This record gives sequence, C-alpha cells and structure tokens, in this order.
Amino acid sequence: MDSTENETKVNGKDQEKVKSELLTINMGPQHPATHGVLRVEIKTDSEIVSEAIPHIGYLHRCFEKHCENIDYRGNLPFCDRMDYLAAMNMELGYCLAVEKMIGTEVPRRAEYIRVMVSELQRVASHLLFFGTYAIDLGAFTPFLYAFQERETILRLFEELSGARLLYNYVWIGGVWNDIKDEQLLRIKKFCDKMDGELEKYWTLVGHNKIFVERTANVGIMDTEMCYNYGATGPILRGSGVEWDLRKKRPYSIYEELDFEIPVGEGEKGTVGDCWDRFSVRMQEMKESLKIIRQCLDGIEEGPIMGKVSKVLKLPKGEIYMRTECPRGELGYHIVSDGGKVPYRVKAKSSCFTHTSMLPEVAPGQLIADFVATIGSVDIVLGEVDR
Amino acid sequence: MNKQPEELTLKKYFQNIWNGIKTTVKGMSITLRYVYSEKSVSIEYPEVREVLPEGTRSRLFNDTQNCISCDQCAVACPVDCIYIASKPRPKDAEKIKTSNGTPIRRELTQYTIDTSLCCYCGLCTTVCPTESLTHTSDHEYASYTIDQMKYDYLDPEVVAWRDRIVK
Repeated sequence: MDSTENETKVNGKDQEKVKSELLTINMGPQHPATHGVLRVEIKTDSEIVSEAIPHIGYLHRCFEKHCENIDYRGNLPFCDRMDYLAAMNMELGYCLAVEKMIGTEVPRRAEYIRVMVSELQRVASHLLFFGTYAIDLGAFTPFLYAFQERETILRLFEELSGARLLYNYVWIGGVWNDIKDEQLLRIKKFCDKMDGELEKYWTLVGHNKIFVERTANVGIMDTEMCYNYGATGPILRGSGVEWDLRKKRPYSIYEELDFEIPVGEGEKGTVGDCWDRFSVRMQEMKESLKIIRQCLDGIEEGPIMGKVSKVLKLPKGEIYMRTECPRGELGYHIVSDGGKVPYRVKAKSSCFTHTSMLPEVAPGQLIADFVATIGSVDIVLGEVDR
Repeated sequence: MNKQPEELTLKKYFQNIWNGIKTTVKGMSITLRYVYSEKSVSIEYPEVREVLPEGTRSRLFNDTQNCISCDQCAVACPVDCIYIASKPRPKDAEKIKTSNGTPIRRELTQYTIDTSLCCYCGLCTTVCPTESLTHTSDHEYASYTIDQMKYDYLDPEVVAWRDRIVK
C-alpha cells in the first residue's frame, strides 16, 4: 500500500524518470545512532529519506501498572528507571507531586540539596548528550572528555546515595542523606573547573566548521511545529520560544534563584536547527552551574527530612505536577482513592512527544542528516516507553 | 525542509576551506594538550581496583544473629525479592538479644534474597530496626545459573561471608 502511494508520488514529480521503488531500511533497534532501542523504519530514495516511522516499545516496563500495586515510597525506584540518565529529576517530580497532596513542608536544607543535585544531574545529562552527539557526527574524542567530567558528578552521587545511576536519593519529605561540607567544597571546585571545560567544548566541537556544516540548517523544527506537537524543553527553547518551567511556573526554591533561559537564535543557520538545540543545551549547562553556585552560597543548616507519617496514605483526590527535566517537561498525574497504594499514576514524558516529531522532520533529509536530527532531539528510550 | 544554500562565490569557497582548517587546528591543539600535559584518568579494572565509597549500595547481607524477624524489609521491598519465614520461640528457651539490645522473640527459619530480582534501591535497609540487613560494597558476584543468585543467609557457607564482606 505504502510503496504504491510513494511510487505515484515519485512519478508524479518527474514523469521522465525511470520508474523506481523506495528502499526500506530498518535503523535500529540495535544501532549506535538511535541512542537505545529505537527502531526507525526509513523509506529511502537513494540517499534521501522520504519517510521515517519510529517504532517504540522495546523498553516497555509497565511503569504505570507497577505503581498501582506498590506503596508510594516503593514507587520511587521505578521513577528512577524512566529516564535513567536524569534519575534525580524524575524522583523530584514524583516527590513534589506526593508532597503537594499530603501538604508536607520540606526543610530548607533539603530544598537546597534537591535543587543542587537536580542541576548537577542536568549538567551530567547534557554532558552525555554532548559526548554522544559528537560521536553521532563522527568525533570520538569529545565523548571521552565529557565522560571525564561526568564521572566527577557520578562519584559525588555515589557517595551521597550509594548508587551511580539509579539513586533513590530524593525522598518524599526531603532527601535520604545529608551532604557534607567537604562534598560542597568539591562541588564548588567542579563548578570552577567546568567553566573552563565548557569553553573547551565550544572550541573543540561547537564552533568547528565541520560540525557547523553538519548541523546548521539541518532538521529544522520551527516554532509552529513545536506548538503543534507540544514539544518542551531544549527543543522548544531551541526554536526560539522562551519557556522554562523553572522560571515560568517555579517549584521548589527556583523562585529565589537568578538565572536566564537560553534561547536558540539561529546564529549559524535557521532558528530551530540542530545547531541551535546543541547551543541551547551547552548554554543551559552554564546556567545550571550558576544555580549550583547560588545554592552553595545559600545553603542553610538544619534537618533534611520533613514530617511524613511512616505509613503513607494520600487523601482522596488527584494531582498533576510538572517539572523541568533535562529533556523537557515531565508530568506526574497521581490519582488516589485514600489507600496505601495509588489508584493510578500516569507519567507524561517529553521524549515521547519529541519522538513523534521525527516523521515530520525526516522527509527530504539525507540519511546522515537524519542521524544528526535524532541525536539533537536527545531522546532516552526508557522515558519514551516507560 | 532544508533551506536553500546561499550562492557560493569564489571568495566564500576559499573562506570556508580556511575556516575549516582553522577551527580544526584549534580543536586539535586541545587534543594535543590532553596527550602531553593531562594525567590519564582511566583505571585498568582487574589489575587496579577502585575503592568504592562508604555506603555503596551493592550486595545485600543479613547478619541473621541480629535479625528479629520483623518482616519490615519484605514489606518495603518493591520487587518482592526477600523471602522470610519465622516461628515463635519456645517460652522456656533462653532469652537472647541482638547486639543493640533488642530482644529476639521469633526464630528465623528462612531468609533468602533473590539477587537476580533485587533492584538495589536500598528501601529494605532503611527500615531495618536492628541494622542487621545492610548493603555491602561487594559487587563482583556474577554466577553461571540464575539459581545461584538466590542466597540463603542461614546457610553456614553464606554466614561465613560475614568476615569477608562486612567490615
């Protein structure tokens, strides 16, 4: 069915051409450029993509059904496993939703630690994006430099929580362990080092002519498309829309912090191209470091856990809480029937939305450019499938 | 979808090439600096072993002498990987206590953890009232079959780990 439709289209365009058929290629599920287990069915006319259909579901782990059977505290490890590269932010969203429902006051120190770890996690996540995106476009070395810095963050998280990837550190009512002064000093040192590193990354990759040629004017997602699909996070900001939940709908202590929202301006090409999205993420890292520095200055002494009853029961009702994660907005919709386990937990993932934008961008691109587009969207399949 | 490229003049053509060379050389200079002046950060794993920080959440260990069979770990576990069974101690038996002074009223008859199911979230250790169940930093315990991943903590062989992995 598909092939005939396309055939007529091809023939309709150019009647004198020899009748040709489209070639179907499976990109993934085990393809290094798809960042996980995403399968994209591509129909190609020689090197040019005429249609791309993403197939998802290879990493489906029944997050929502699991949540209906396990108590509120037990759900936290499952939240970690959604976006495994930004586990702290995933936990924070869930905890904020539950806390809002039971009306718990979180101690100031815990709030500062939470913001600090989630911003550190954002830096770690964007570092990974920087590294893997460079690999997608054929540069291997930046990946190693990025991981060297990322390791510092992971090591710190390991000392704080005991795990390197899936932390279970942000708890309902506060955080698990207290942060030590020595660790705060290390974060400060890391921030100072990171400033220089970011400059290095710009020289090494961002301003490199070959990189610019590969990314500028490629995979343009304009503002209208972003609005139509409901894109959020760096994709939306890369298209020139100034929208950041941390600023526009502040949660936790973001209201008191001073930072800017980086927006894509089309410096090297068109607004909303791959280079803009890359640039937004790089600038976001700088803003995150700014936030961390303010937290280091403002952190207060005090308890780290608020008053939460041992057997957690939520009042009857429902709540929707959204937070800004490294990859976009994450929303938790929790419905409670007054019992120990939630009646329903629904997670709105930004990566799923961004995956659905791929078929719209793909037609007309070269295959290599499509790889660059997938990389710049920066999807984590754990969050897409949940 | 792509924008039409701007008209290419001869000047622009050479400028592009020059820019390409200039920016690449700049990048290469950074790489060269790493080659000669930066210390290597890689750890060659089997020969050199990194000391894991205190509180690393790795293999679970239950010191059964201190366990009061309260079942709280099994309740807290989100993946139900802890199998615990106990029976009341006879009334005339000698009174025993854990190391922190909690009297032991029940006798543990089974304490098995299926580590192939465990998600290392740490929820079970935080609810343990006597701190008998702890995460150790032992992480090298791959096995050939899935049955070998089940550890019975009443087994004398497993109890003997105490000296090896718990400090």
